[in-house]
Amino acid sequence: MTGTATTVDTLYVYGIAPAGVRPPDTPGVGGAPVRLLTAPELCAAVSGAPERVRARRRDLAAHQAVLDELLAQGPVLPMRFGVLSTDPAALRTQLRADRDDLTAQLDSVRDCLEMNVKGTAVPGHFADLVRRDEKLRVLARRTRQRPDYEANVRLGEALARGVRREARRAAGEVLARLTPLAVRVAGGPLDEERVLSASFLLRCGDEQRFREEVAALAGRLGDRLALSVTGPLPCYSFVAARPAGTGR
Amino acid sequence: MITYDDEIVCAPRAGTLYDVLELILDRGMVIDVFARVSLVGIEILKVDARIVIASVDTYLRFAEACNRLDLEHDVRSKTVPELFGGPAAKTMAKAGARRTARSLTSKVRDILSPEAAEEDEIRTRAPARRRREPEEEPPRRRPAPERRRPAARPRGDEDERTRPRARRPARED
Repeated sequence: MTGTATTVDTLYVYGIAPAGVRPPDTPGVGGAPVRLLTAPELCAAVSGAPERVRARRRDLAAHQAVLDELLAQGPVLPMRFGVLSTDPAALRTQLRADRDDLTAQLDSVRDCLEMNVKGTAVPGHFADLVRRDEKLRVLARRTRQRPDYEANVRLGEALARGVRREARRAAGEVLARLTPLAVRVAGGPLDEERVLSASFLLRCGDEQRFREEVAALAGRLGDRLALSVTGPLPCYSFVAARPAGTGR
Repeated sequence: MITYDDEIVCAPRAGTLYDVLELILDRGMVIDVFARVSLVGIEILKVDARIVIASVDTYLRFAEACNRLDLEHDVRSKTVPELFGGPAAKTMAKAGARRTARSLTSKVRDILSPEAAEEDEIRTRAPARRRREPEEEPPRRRPAPERRRPAARPRGDEDERTRPRARRPARED
């Protein structure tokens, strides 16, 4: 439904929070003011939907900023970017129908936050790789004796593999050190370069300790693995994708 | 040659919006009875951006760096000395990783908002003008008077040293 045509009633939904929170001041997607739609015990942060919702950077940031503001007040169930409700009545009905499940989920992330840690392979330490790997050493010598394009590509490819292997090992260590600090852990997509991508559900009080641990690991493993840490985030990775009451 | 301060380089990078893109797009709650705009294409483009790295160019760069090593004598050495030249070795590598991240970020940024570059409020560390500059350019955040201070700056600064400091006044003629 790219570029869903929206009507005046269509609402963009940011997230669900316990009733009683203050409406966020941050402007929402498309610059629209954000308001709260309340149902018994729960409320949903919504704004008028723009005519076309697209994953523009500014709108992604707005989605995130609205949720950040709610998170600062207490637990929040973040919606994925781009969730629309056709009209306010439908949303209220849904909140009522799913109330028990949503309330339970809010309780499960109460006083918690999500920290996301990513690790990217850092090229280098070739001397070290060559020193420790007999095959690589042979390849490097041969390439030097008979340097040609083909040989250089092969050597470079082997070095790239070594770099990745080292980075993956470092990523395993990071995961092993950080997991005990978290209530739950959720993995994200990996590829050749991004060898670590994990979200950690932390008790709010543990954030500082977590950051210190990440910093220590970054210092120690930084020549193989570049770490980035994002958070505190709303608990995107620790809410059920769908409330129990709806759909499949 | 880029010389980042060690303390800066060794700290974890603070994540950007790009770093949590997949959380915002693919995690979080969905309610089935609601419409959800489909954002087809973004995931694919992310993958494309990454594949660029595992390229022949990269392999050749790695091989070149490796060929510069003194294998016969240095193979037993404990440090990583010859690779990029002394203490800068570590930071160089990391700067390389950063550059990679930067170019990726800007690529994805372009994808995200192709038709309106000026709406890009969240600045990454990749100001567009830096793209055209050679790698030797030191980071911008270094205040100007400090630029000559570090002793171990192998090359890249000669240019500036030999040139009189009269950059501001237009010398086009």
